[in-house]
Amino acid sequence: MSIEEQVIENAKNGKLLTHKCTDCGYLHLSTAYFCRECGSKGFEDVLLDGVGKVATYTIITVPPAGFEKYTPYAFVVLKLDNSDLRISGFMGGIATPADLPVGTPAKITGFDERGIIIEKQ
Amino acid sequence: MEKVCVLGAGSTKYGKLADSIADITTHASVAAIESAGISPKDIDASYISNVFGVADKQVHIGPVLMSRLGIPDKPSLTIESACGSGSVSFREAYANVAAGFYDCLLVTGVEKVTHTGTEWTTTYFAYCSDFFYEGQAGASFPGLFASMARAYMTEFNTTEEDFARVAVKNHDNGVLNPKAHMQKKITIDDVMNSAVVASPLKLFDCCPFSDGASSVILCSEKFAKEHGGDYVECIGSGRGGSPAALQGRDHMTTIPSTKLAAASAYKMAGITAKDVDFAEVHDCFTIAEVVDTEDLGFFEKGKGVEAVREGRTSLNSDISINPSGGLKSKGHPIGATGVGQVVEVYDQLTGNAGERTVKDAKIGLTHNFGATGASCAVHVFQSV
Ligand SMILES: CC(C)(COP(=O)(O)OP(=O)(O)OC[C@H]1O[C@@H](n2cnc3c(N)ncnc32)[C@H](O)[C@@H]1OP(=O)(O)O)[C@@H](O)C(=O)NCCC(=O)NCCS
Ligand SMILES: [Zn+2]
Repeated sequence: MSIEEQVIENAKNGKLLTHKCTDCGYLHLSTAYFCRECGSKGFEDVLLDGVGKVATYTIITVPPAGFEKYTPYAFVVLKLDNSDLRISGFMGGIATPADLPVGTPAKITGFDERGIIIEKQ
Repeated sequence: MEKVCVLGAGSTKYGKLADSIADITTHASVAAIESAGISPKDIDASYISNVFGVADKQVHIGPVLMSRLGIPDKPSLTIESACGSGSVSFREAYANVAAGFYDCLLVTGVEKVTHTGTEWTTTYFAYCSDFFYEGQAGASFPGLFASMARAYMTEFNTTEEDFARVAVKNHDNGVLNPKAHMQKKITIDDVMNSAVVASPLKLFDCCPFSDGASSVILCSEKFAKEHGGDYVECIGSGRGGSPAALQGRDHMTTIPSTKLAAASAYKMAGITAKDVDFAEVHDCFTIAEVVDTEDLGFFEKGKGVEAVREGRTSLNSDISINPSGGLKSKGHPIGATGVGQVVEVYDQLTGNAGERTVKDAKIGLTHNFGATGASCAVHVFQSV
Protein backbone atom coordinates (compact mmCIF):
# COMPACT_ATOMS: atom_id res chain seq x y z
CA MET A 1 0.00 0.00 0.00
CA SER A 2 1.23 3.50 -0.81
CA ILE A 3 1.53 6.00 2.03
CA GLU A 4 -1.59 7.84 0.88
CA GLU A 5 -3.55 4.57 0.72
CA GLN A 6 -2.45 3.80 4.28
CA VAL A 7 -3.67 7.22 5.45
CA ILE A 8 -6.99 6.55 3.76
CA GLU A 9 -7.46 3.05 5.22
CA ASN A 10 -6.68 4.31 8.73
CA ALA A 11 -8.97 7.34 8.36
CA LYS A 12 -11.80 4.93 7.56
CA ASN A 13 -11.19 3.48 11.03
CA GLY A 14 -11.10 6.91 12.69
CA LYS A 15 -7.31 6.79 13.05
CA LEU A 16 -4.50 9.01 11.90
CA LEU A 17 -1.29 7.36 10.78
CA THR A 18 1.77 9.38 11.82
CA HIS A 19 5.55 9.11 11.48
CA LYS A 20 7.69 9.50 14.58
CA CYS A 21 11.37 10.23 13.95
CA THR A 22 13.47 7.43 15.44
CA ASP A 23 16.37 9.88 15.98
CA CYS A 24 14.74 12.94 17.57
CA GLY A 25 11.16 11.87 18.25
CA TYR A 26 9.52 14.63 16.18
CA LEU A 27 6.01 13.62 15.12
CA HIS A 28 4.90 14.17 11.49
CA LEU A 29 1.94 13.23 9.35
CA SER A 30 2.82 10.00 7.57
CA THR A 31 3.37 11.70 4.21
CA ALA A 32 6.74 12.92 5.58
CA TYR A 33 9.73 11.02 4.15
CA PHE A 34 12.45 12.91 6.04
CA CYS A 35 12.36 14.50 9.48
CA ARG A 36 11.66 18.22 9.38
CA GLU A 37 13.54 18.70 12.63
CA CYS A 38 16.74 16.67 12.17
CA GLY A 39 16.72 15.47 8.55
CA SER A 40 16.73 11.78 9.49
CA LYS A 41 14.92 9.20 7.36
CA GLY A 42 14.13 6.71 10.11
CA PHE A 43 10.48 6.70 11.13
CA GLU A 44 8.33 4.50 13.30
CA ASP A 45 4.58 4.30 12.48
CA VAL A 46 2.40 5.64 15.29
CA LEU A 47 -1.36 5.27 15.02
CA LEU A 48 -3.26 8.07 16.77
CA ASP A 49 -6.95 8.36 17.56
CA GLY A 50 -8.36 10.92 15.12
CA VAL A 51 -9.95 12.98 17.89
CA GLY A 52 -9.35 16.63 18.67
CA LYS A 53 -10.78 20.12 18.58
CA VAL A 54 -11.56 22.45 15.68
CA ALA A 55 -8.57 24.82 15.37
CA THR A 56 -10.06 26.81 12.50
CA TYR A 57 -12.50 26.28 9.63
CA THR A 58 -14.43 27.94 6.84
CA ILE A 59 -17.90 27.40 5.46
CA ILE A 60 -17.70 27.19 1.69
CA THR A 61 -20.53 28.54 -0.44
CA VAL A 62 -18.68 28.75 -3.79
CA PRO A 63 -17.41 25.16 -4.16
CA PRO A 64 -14.99 23.46 -6.52
CA ALA A 65 -16.40 20.87 -8.95
CA GLY A 66 -17.86 17.80 -7.26
CA PHE A 67 -18.86 19.63 -4.08
CA GLU A 68 -22.01 21.41 -5.34
CA LYS A 69 -24.33 18.82 -3.83
CA TYR A 70 -22.73 19.20 -0.38
CA THR A 71 -22.77 23.04 -0.30
CA PRO A 72 -22.66 24.71 2.17
CA TYR A 73 -20.08 22.61 3.98
CA ALA A 74 -17.11 23.23 6.22
CA PHE A 75 -13.42 22.69 5.52
CA VAL A 76 -11.96 22.07 8.96
CA VAL A 77 -8.48 22.08 10.49
CA LEU A 78 -8.54 19.75 13.49
CA LYS A 79 -5.93 19.97 16.27
CA LEU A 80 -5.44 16.47 17.65
CA ASP A 81 -5.75 15.82 21.36
CA ASN A 82 -2.50 14.56 22.93
CA SER A 83 -0.25 15.75 20.07
CA ASP A 84 0.77 18.98 18.35
CA LEU A 85 -0.38 17.69 14.97
CA ARG A 86 -3.24 19.13 12.97
CA ILE A 87 -5.18 17.44 10.18
CA SER A 88 -7.68 18.96 7.78
CA GLY A 89 -10.81 17.53 6.26
CA PHE A 90 -14.40 17.88 5.11
CA MET A 91 -17.34 18.41 7.49
CA GLY A 92 -20.88 18.31 6.12
CA GLY A 93 -24.04 19.91 7.45
CA ILE A 94 -22.51 23.21 8.58
CA ALA A 95 -24.36 26.31 7.39
CA THR A 96 -23.41 29.17 9.75
CA PRO A 97 -20.53 29.92 12.14
CA ALA A 98 -22.95 29.31 15.04
CA ASP A 99 -22.93 25.63 13.97
CA LEU A 100 -19.23 25.25 14.64
CA PRO A 101 -17.46 27.39 17.25
CA VAL A 102 -13.65 27.13 17.21
CA GLY A 103 -12.74 24.54 19.85
CA THR A 104 -15.66 22.23 19.08
CA PRO A 105 -14.62 18.59 19.77
CA ALA A 106 -14.52 16.65 16.49
CA LYS A 107 -13.09 13.43 15.07
CA ILE A 108 -12.03 11.71 11.88
CA THR A 109 -14.81 9.36 10.77
CA GLY A 110 -13.90 8.27 7.26
CA PHE A 111 -12.58 8.95 3.81
CA ASP A 112 -14.44 9.20 0.49
CA GLU A 113 -14.74 11.46 -2.58
CA ARG A 114 -14.71 14.37 -0.09
CA GLY A 115 -11.28 13.46 1.25
CA ILE A 116 -10.79 12.91 4.99
CA ILE A 117 -14.17 13.20 6.72
CA ILE A 118 -14.39 14.98 10.06
CA GLU A 119 -17.54 15.04 12.21
CA LYS A 120 -18.46 16.64 15.51
CA GLN A 121 -17.92 14.28 18.46
CA MET B 1 27.83 40.17 -8.41
CA GLU B 2 26.55 42.58 -11.06
CA LYS B 3 24.12 45.28 -9.96
CA VAL B 4 20.72 44.48 -11.46
CA CYS B 5 18.35 47.12 -12.83
CA VAL B 6 14.82 47.35 -14.21
CA LEU B 7 15.11 49.36 -17.41
CA GLY B 8 11.53 49.24 -18.66
CA ALA B 9 8.09 48.01 -17.70
CA GLY B 10 4.65 47.52 -19.21
CA SER B 11 1.29 45.89 -18.54
CA THR B 12 -1.95 45.22 -20.32
CA LYS B 13 -5.08 46.29 -18.53
CA TYR B 14 -6.12 43.67 -15.95
CA GLY B 15 -9.68 42.36 -16.17
CA LYS B 16 -11.72 40.25 -18.55
CA LEU B 17 -9.73 40.43 -21.77
CA ALA B 18 -10.89 39.26 -25.21
CA ASP B 19 -7.46 38.75 -26.81
CA SER B 20 -5.68 35.38 -26.70
CA ILE B 21 -3.04 34.52 -24.13
CA ALA B 22 -0.34 34.78 -26.82
CA ASP B 23 -1.60 38.24 -27.79
CA ILE B 24 -1.68 39.65 -24.28
CA THR B 25 1.75 38.18 -23.49
CA THR B 26 3.07 39.97 -26.57
CA HIS B 27 1.31 43.28 -25.83
CA ALA B 28 2.85 43.56 -22.35
CA SER B 29 6.28 42.51 -23.62
CA VAL B 30 6.25 45.05 -26.44
CA ALA B 31 5.22 47.75 -23.95
CA ALA B 32 8.18 46.86 -21.70
CA ILE B 33 10.62 46.80 -24.64
CA GLU B 34 9.40 50.21 -25.81
CA SER B 35 9.52 51.60 -22.28
CA ALA B 36 13.16 50.47 -22.03
CA GLY B 37 13.99 51.99 -25.42
CA ILE B 38 15.72 48.83 -26.59
CA SER B 39 15.30 46.50 -29.56
CA PRO B 40 14.19 42.87 -29.08
CA LYS B 41 17.59 41.94 -30.50
CA ASP B 42 19.18 43.32 -27.31
CA ILE B 43 17.37 40.64 -25.25
CA ASP B 44 19.45 37.59 -24.34
CA ALA B 45 16.62 35.37 -23.08
CA SER B 46 13.15 35.46 -21.56
CA TYR B 47 11.51 34.18 -18.36
CA ILE B 48 7.77 33.64 -18.69
CA SER B 49 5.51 32.97 -15.72
CA ASN B 50 2.14 31.33 -16.26
CA VAL B 51 -0.01 28.79 -14.45
CA PHE B 52 -3.04 27.85 -16.55
CA GLY B 53 -1.96 28.34 -20.17
CA VAL B 54 -3.84 25.12 -20.79
CA ALA B 55 -7.09 27.10 -20.31
CA ASP B 56 -6.40 29.08 -23.48
CA LYS B 57 -4.79 26.18 -25.35
CA GLN B 58 -1.25 27.57 -25.11
CA VAL B 59 1.42 26.19 -22.83
CA HIS B 60 5.15 26.66 -23.58
CA ILE B 61 4.38 30.31 -24.30
CA GLY B 62 8.05 31.39 -24.31
CA PRO B 63 8.95 30.34 -27.86
CA VAL B 64 5.65 31.71 -29.19
CA LEU B 65 6.47 35.10 -27.67
CA MET B 66 10.07 35.05 -28.91
CA SER B 67 8.88 34.19 -32.42
CA ARG B 68 6.47 37.12 -32.40
CA LEU B 69 9.24 39.44 -31.20
CA GLY B 70 11.45 38.42 -34.13
CA ILE B 71 13.99 36.63 -31.92
CA PRO B 72 13.00 32.95 -32.29
CA ASP B 73 16.61 31.88 -31.80
CA LYS B 74 16.71 33.27 -28.22
CA PRO B 75 16.08 30.92 -25.27
CA SER B 76 13.04 31.13 -23.00
CA LEU B 77 11.89 29.40 -19.84
CA THR B 78 8.30 29.07 -18.62
CA ILE B 79 7.87 28.97 -14.83
CA GLU B 80 4.93 27.89 -12.63
CA SER B 81 4.73 28.64 -8.88
CA ALA B 82 0.97 29.23 -8.49
CA CYS B 83 0.10 32.85 -7.64
CA GLY B 84 3.79 33.51 -6.92
CA SER B 85 4.98 32.56 -10.40
CA GLY B 86 5.76 36.13 -11.44
CA SER B 87 8.11 36.98 -8.58
CA VAL B 88 9.81 33.61 -8.69
CA SER B 89 10.46 34.06 -12.39
CA PHE B 90 11.74 37.59 -11.70
CA ARG B 91 14.07 36.15 -9.07
CA GLU B 92 15.50 33.55 -11.47
CA ALA B 93 16.12 36.29 -14.02
CA TYR B 94 17.65 38.49 -11.32
CA ALA B 95 20.06 35.72 -10.30
CA ASN B 96 21.17 35.17 -13.88
CA VAL B 97 21.92 38.85 -14.48
CA ALA B 98 23.60 39.19 -11.07
CA ALA B 99 25.79 36.18 -11.87
CA GLY B 100 26.82 37.71 -15.17
CA PHE B 101 25.30 34.97 -17.36
CA TYR B 102 23.09 37.48 -19.19
CA ASP B 103 23.10 41.27 -19.69
CA CYS B 104 19.47 41.83 -20.62
CA LEU B 105 16.41 39.69 -19.95
CA LEU B 106 12.72 39.92 -20.71
CA VAL B 107 10.52 38.85 -17.77
CA THR B 108 6.84 38.48 -18.65
CA GLY B 109 3.98 37.05 -16.62
CA VAL B 110 0.56 36.20 -18.01
CA GLU B 111 -2.76 34.59 -17.13
CA LYS B 112 -5.96 34.17 -19.09
CA VAL B 113 -8.74 32.31 -17.28
CA THR B 114 -11.90 34.41 -16.98
CA HIS B 115 -13.53 32.76 -20.02
CA THR B 116 -13.54 29.40 -18.18
CA GLY B 117 -16.10 30.55 -15.58
CA THR B 118 -16.31 30.49 -11.79
CA GLU B 119 -16.44 26.71 -11.30
CA TRP B 120 -13.51 25.83 -13.56
CA THR B 121 -11.30 28.48 -12.02
CA THR B 122 -12.27 27.65 -8.43
CA THR B 123 -11.58 23.97 -9.14
CA TYR B 124 -8.24 24.44 -10.91
CA PHE B 125 -6.91 27.06 -8.47
CA ALA B 126 -7.53 24.52 -5.68
CA TYR B 127 -4.95 22.26 -7.41
CA CYS B 128 -2.34 24.77 -6.13
CA SER B 129 -3.06 23.63 -2.53
CA ASP B 130 -1.59 20.51 -0.88
CA PHE B 131 -4.28 18.59 -2.73
CA PHE B 132 -4.28 15.34 -0.75
CA TYR B 133 -5.12 17.17 2.47
CA GLU B 134 -6.81 20.38 1.27
CA GLY B 135 -8.24 20.53 -2.27
CA GLN B 136 -9.44 16.94 -2.04
CA ALA B 137 -11.47 17.80 1.08
CA GLY B 138 -13.27 20.63 -0.72
CA ALA B 139 -10.99 23.54 0.19
CA SER B 140 -11.06 26.39 -2.31
CA PHE B 141 -8.50 29.22 -2.20
CA PRO B 142 -10.98 31.62 -0.65
CA GLY B 143 -11.66 28.77 1.83
CA LEU B 144 -8.02 28.38 2.84
CA PHE B 145 -7.57 32.10 3.44
CA ALA B 146 -10.93 32.15 5.23
CA SER B 147 -9.48 29.50 7.55
CA MET B 148 -6.54 31.83 8.23
CA ALA B 149 -8.99 34.70 8.76
CA ARG B 150 -10.99 32.70 11.31
CA ALA B 151 -7.77 31.74 13.11
CA TYR B 152 -6.72 35.41 13.15
CA MET B 153 -10.09 36.60 14.45
CA THR B 154 -9.93 33.98 17.20
CA GLU B 155 -6.35 34.74 18.22
CA PHE B 156 -6.46 38.54 18.06
CA ASN B 157 -10.13 39.20 18.75
CA THR B 158 -10.75 41.15 15.53
CA THR B 159 -13.87 41.54 13.41
CA GLU B 160 -14.92 41.13 9.79
CA GLU B 161 -15.14 44.94 9.52
CA ASP B 162 -11.42 45.08 10.26
CA PHE B 163 -10.74 43.04 7.11
CA ALA B 164 -13.31 45.03 5.12
CA ARG B 165 -11.25 48.21 5.60
CA VAL B 166 -8.41 46.66 3.61
CA ALA B 167 -10.72 46.20 0.63
CA VAL B 168 -12.04 49.76 0.90
CA LYS B 169 -8.49 51.17 1.00
CA ASN B 170 -7.33 49.10 -1.96
CA HIS B 171 -10.36 50.05 -4.04
CA ASP B 172 -9.62 53.73 -3.22
CA ASN B 173 -6.16 53.23 -4.74
CA GLY B 174 -7.41 51.13 -7.66
CA VAL B 175 -9.73 53.93 -8.76
CA LEU B 176 -6.55 55.93 -9.50
CA ASN B 177 -5.07 53.12 -11.61
CA PRO B 178 -6.35 53.10 -15.21
CA LYS B 179 -5.11 49.49 -15.66
CA ALA B 180 -6.99 48.13 -12.62
CA HIS B 181 -9.65 45.44 -12.98
CA MET B 182 -12.05 46.86 -10.35
CA GLN B 183 -12.12 50.63 -10.69
CA LYS B 184 -14.82 51.57 -8.27
CA LYS B 185 -14.94 53.01 -4.79
CA ILE B 186 -16.59 50.79 -2.20
CA THR B 187 -17.70 51.22 1.41
CA ILE B 188 -17.40 48.98 4.47
CA ASP B 189 -21.13 48.29 4.09
CA ASP B 190 -20.61 47.15 0.49
CA VAL B 191 -18.07 44.61 1.73
CA MET B 192 -20.16 43.49 4.71
CA ASN B 193 -23.28 43.09 2.56
CA SER B 194 -21.58 41.24 -0.31
CA ALA B 195 -22.27 37.52 -0.75
CA VAL B 196 -20.34 35.07 1.40
CA VAL B 197 -17.79 33.10 -0.65
CA ALA B 198 -16.10 31.20 2.19
CA SER B 199 -17.07 32.41 5.65
CA PRO B 200 -15.84 34.81 7.02
CA LEU B 201 -14.70 36.05 3.60
CA LYS B 202 -17.20 37.71 1.32
CA LEU B 203 -17.06 38.62 -2.37
CA PHE B 204 -15.40 41.99 -1.67
CA ASP B 205 -12.78 40.42 0.60
CA CYS B 206 -11.58 38.44 -2.43
CA CYS B 207 -9.43 39.42 -5.36
CA PRO B 208 -11.24 38.74 -8.64
CA PHE B 209 -10.31 36.21 -11.30
CA SER B 210 -8.44 38.34 -13.83
CA ASP B 211 -6.76 38.11 -17.21
CA GLY B 212 -3.68 40.19 -17.87
CA ALA B 213 0.03 40.32 -18.62
CA SER B 214 2.92 42.33 -17.22
CA SER B 215 6.49 42.60 -18.38
CA VAL B 216 9.79 44.14 -17.33
CA ILE B 217 13.26 44.43 -18.83
CA LEU B 218 15.94 43.38 -16.36
CA CYS B 219 19.58 44.18 -17.07
CA SER B 220 23.02 44.81 -15.63
CA GLU B 221 23.83 48.35 -14.46
CA LYS B 222 26.36 48.65 -17.29
CA PHE B 223 23.69 47.79 -19.86
CA ALA B 224 21.23 50.25 -18.25
CA LYS B 225 23.77 53.09 -18.36
CA GLU B 226 24.70 52.39 -21.98
CA HIS B 227 21.09 52.40 -23.08
CA GLY B 228 20.08 55.52 -21.17
CA GLY B 229 16.50 56.06 -20.08
CA ASP B 230 14.97 55.71 -16.64
CA TYR B 231 15.85 52.71 -14.56
CA VAL B 232 15.58 51.53 -10.96
CA GLU B 233 17.96 49.25 -9.12
CA CYS B 234 16.91 45.99 -7.50
CA ILE B 235 18.93 46.07 -4.27
CA GLY B 236 17.52 43.03 -2.48
CA SER B 237 16.09 39.66 -3.48
CA GLY B 238 14.89 37.01 -1.04
CA ARG B 239 12.96 33.76 -1.17
CA GLY B 240 11.45 31.38 1.34
CA GLY B 241 9.14 28.41 1.76
CA SER B 242 6.42 27.24 4.17
CA PRO B 243 4.79 23.87 4.84
CA ALA B 244 2.50 23.38 1.82
CA ALA B 245 -0.64 22.78 3.89
CA LEU B 246 -1.95 25.24 6.49
CA GLN B 247 -2.29 22.42 9.01
CA GLY B 248 1.50 21.94 9.03
CA ARG B 249 2.38 25.48 10.17
CA ASP B 250 3.25 26.32 13.75
CA HIS B 251 0.90 29.31 13.53
CA MET B 252 -1.90 29.72 11.03
CA THR B 253 -1.82 33.51 11.38
CA THR B 254 1.64 33.99 9.94
CA ILE B 255 3.27 32.96 6.68
CA PRO B 256 6.78 31.65 7.36
CA SER B 257 7.97 32.05 3.75
CA THR B 258 7.24 35.78 3.87
CA LYS B 259 9.42 36.21 6.94
CA LEU B 260 12.27 34.22 5.43
CA ALA B 261 12.11 36.02 2.08
CA ALA B 262 11.88 39.44 3.73
CA ALA B 263 14.77 38.78 6.10
CA SER B 264 17.07 37.82 3.27
CA ALA B 265 15.93 40.66 0.97
CA TYR B 266 16.39 43.26 3.75
CA LYS B 267 19.81 41.86 4.57
CA MET B 268 20.96 41.99 0.97
CA ALA B 269 19.61 45.53 0.59
CA GLY B 270 21.15 46.61 3.90
CA ILE B 271 17.85 48.06 5.10
CA THR B 272 15.12 47.33 7.64
CA ALA B 273 11.34 47.37 7.24
CA LYS B 274 11.34 51.00 8.48
CA ASP B 275 13.20 52.14 5.37
CA VAL B 276 10.49 50.98 2.97
CA ASP B 277 8.41 53.87 1.56
CA PHE B 278 5.74 51.76 -0.12
CA ALA B 279 5.03 48.11 -0.78
CA GLU B 280 3.06 46.04 -3.24
CA VAL B 281 2.02 43.06 -1.11
CA HIS B 282 0.10 39.87 -1.87
CA ASP B 283 -3.46 40.77 -0.84
CA CYS B 284 -5.28 37.95 -2.63
CA PHE B 285 -7.76 38.26 0.24
CA THR B 286 -8.10 41.07 2.80
CA ILE B 287 -6.77 38.82 5.59
CA ALA B 288 -3.64 38.22 3.52
CA GLU B 289 -2.71 41.91 3.43
CA VAL B 290 -3.04 42.13 7.22
CA VAL B 291 -0.84 39.07 7.73
CA ASP B 292 1.67 40.25 5.10
CA THR B 293 2.19 43.68 6.64
CA GLU B 294 2.97 42.00 9.96
CA ASP B 295 5.23 39.30 8.50
CA LEU B 296 7.13 41.90 6.46
CA GLY B 297 7.88 43.71 9.71
CA PHE B 298 5.82 46.87 9.10
CA PHE B 299 3.63 46.17 12.13
CA GLU B 300 3.75 43.85 15.13
CA LYS B 301 1.87 40.55 14.96
CA GLY B 302 -1.78 41.19 15.72
CA LYS B 303 -1.47 44.95 15.08
CA GLY B 304 -2.06 44.90 11.32
CA VAL B 305 -5.79 45.57 11.56
CA GLU B 306 -5.23 48.49 13.92
CA ALA B 307 -2.84 50.02 11.38
CA VAL B 308 -5.50 49.80 8.68
CA ARG B 309 -8.15 51.21 11.04
CA GLU B 310 -5.89 54.20 11.75
CA GLY B 311 -5.26 54.75 8.04
CA ARG B 312 -1.55 54.10 8.42
CA THR B 313 -1.39 51.97 5.25
CA SER B 314 -3.36 54.35 3.04
CA LEU B 315 -1.77 56.16 0.12
CA ASN B 316 0.78 58.72 1.37
CA SER B 317 0.42 57.85 5.03
CA ASP B 318 3.03 56.03 7.19
CA ILE B 319 3.65 53.36 4.58
CA SER B 320 1.60 53.19 1.38
CA ILE B 321 0.49 49.58 1.01
CA ASN B 322 -0.63 48.56 -2.47
CA PRO B 323 -0.75 51.97 -4.14
CA SER B 324 -1.69 50.15 -7.37
CA GLY B 325 -4.90 48.85 -5.77
CA GLY B 326 -3.28 45.49 -5.05
CA LEU B 327 -4.60 42.13 -6.13
CA LYS B 328 -7.95 43.10 -4.61
CA SER B 329 -8.69 46.02 -6.91
CA LYS B 330 -6.00 46.03 -9.60
CA GLY B 331 -6.77 42.34 -10.17
CA HIS B 332 -4.92 39.04 -9.91
CA PRO B 333 -3.97 37.36 -13.20
CA ILE B 334 -2.04 34.81 -11.19
CA GLY B 335 0.99 34.23 -13.45
CA ALA B 336 1.34 37.98 -14.08
CA THR B 337 0.85 39.41 -10.59
CA GLY B 338 4.44 39.18 -9.32
CA VAL B 339 5.76 40.92 -12.43
CA GLY B 340 2.92 43.46 -12.29
CA GLN B 341 4.07 44.48 -8.82
CA VAL B 342 7.51 45.28 -10.24
CA VAL B 343 5.84 47.32 -13.00
CA GLU B 344 4.10 49.38 -10.30
CA VAL B 345 7.35 49.92 -8.41
CA TYR B 346 9.09 50.97 -11.63
CA ASP B 347 6.28 53.41 -12.45
CA GLN B 348 6.32 54.80 -8.91
CA LEU B 349 10.09 55.29 -8.74
CA THR B 350 10.38 56.78 -12.24
CA GLY B 351 7.52 59.27 -11.81
CA ASN B 352 4.98 57.49 -13.99
CA ALA B 353 2.32 56.61 -11.41
CA GLY B 354 0.08 59.62 -12.00
CA GLU B 355 -2.49 60.38 -9.33
CA ARG B 356 -1.47 57.44 -7.16
CA THR B 357 2.16 58.57 -6.82
CA VAL B 358 3.71 57.91 -3.43
CA LYS B 359 5.39 61.24 -2.63
CA ASP B 360 9.17 61.34 -2.25
CA ALA B 361 9.42 57.55 -2.48
CA LYS B 362 12.95 56.17 -2.75
CA ILE B 363 12.51 52.53 -1.72
CA GLY B 364 9.73 50.21 -2.89
CA LEU B 365 9.15 46.56 -2.02
CA THR B 366 7.33 43.74 -3.79
CA HIS B 367 5.94 40.71 -1.95
CA ASN B 368 4.29 37.86 -3.84
CA PHE B 369 3.53 34.29 -2.83
CA GLY B 370 2.20 31.06 -4.25
CA ALA B 371 -0.86 29.30 -2.80
CA THR B 372 -1.27 30.08 0.93
CA GLY B 373 2.31 31.31 1.01
CA ALA B 374 3.92 27.93 0.45
CA SER B 375 6.48 29.74 -1.72
CA CYS B 376 7.36 33.41 -1.58
CA ALA B 377 9.66 36.05 -3.05
CA VAL B 378 10.39 39.56 -1.79
CA HIS B 379 12.31 42.20 -3.76
CA VAL B 380 13.52 45.64 -2.76
CA PHE B 381 14.04 48.44 -5.30
CA GLN B 382 15.67 51.82 -5.06
CA SER B 383 15.40 54.84 -7.31
CA VAL B 384 18.68 56.01 -8.88
C1 LIG C 1 -15.06 35.66 -5.46
C2 LIG C 1 -15.21 34.80 -6.71
C3 LIG C 1 -15.67 33.41 -6.33
C4 LIG C 1 -16.23 35.45 -7.67
O1 LIG C 1 -16.32 34.62 -8.81
P1 LIG C 1 -16.35 35.27 -10.25
O2 LIG C 1 -16.37 34.18 -11.27
O3 LIG C 1 -15.27 36.26 -10.38
O4 LIG C 1 -17.73 35.98 -10.23
P2 LIG C 1 -18.48 36.64 -11.46
O5 LIG C 1 -17.57 36.83 -12.63
O6 LIG C 1 -19.73 35.84 -11.65
O7 LIG C 1 -18.81 38.06 -10.89
C5 LIG C 1 -20.01 38.41 -10.27
C6 LIG C 1 -19.99 39.90 -10.01
O8 LIG C 1 -19.11 40.20 -8.93
C7 LIG C 1 -18.08 41.08 -9.33
N1 LIG C 1 -16.87 40.57 -8.75
C8 LIG C 1 -16.29 39.40 -9.02
N2 LIG C 1 -15.24 39.21 -8.23
C9 LIG C 1 -15.16 40.29 -7.45
C10 LIG C 1 -14.28 40.67 -6.44
N3 LIG C 1 -13.30 39.85 -6.09
N4 LIG C 1 -14.46 41.84 -5.81
C11 LIG C 1 -15.48 42.65 -6.17
N5 LIG C 1 -16.36 42.33 -7.13
C12 LIG C 1 -16.20 41.18 -7.76
C13 LIG C 1 -18.03 41.00 -10.82
O9 LIG C 1 -17.58 42.20 -11.39
C14 LIG C 1 -19.47 40.75 -11.16
O10 LIG C 1 -20.16 41.97 -11.11
P3 LIG C 1 -21.20 42.35 -12.26
O11 LIG C 1 -22.22 41.26 -12.20
O12 LIG C 1 -21.67 43.70 -11.84
O13 LIG C 1 -20.37 42.33 -13.51
C15 LIG C 1 -13.86 34.71 -7.40
O14 LIG C 1 -13.53 35.99 -7.89
C16 LIG C 1 -12.75 34.18 -6.54
O15 LIG C 1 -12.72 33.02 -6.17
N6 LIG C 1 -11.73 35.02 -6.22
C17 LIG C 1 -10.55 34.57 -5.60
C18 LIG C 1 -9.54 34.17 -6.64
C19 LIG C 1 -8.40 33.39 -6.08
O16 LIG C 1 -8.56 32.50 -5.27
N7 LIG C 1 -7.19 33.69 -6.51
C20 LIG C 1 -6.03 33.03 -6.03
C21 LIG C 1 -5.65 33.65 -4.76
S1 LIG C 1 -4.37 32.82 -3.92
ZN1 LIG D 1 14.21 13.83 13.65
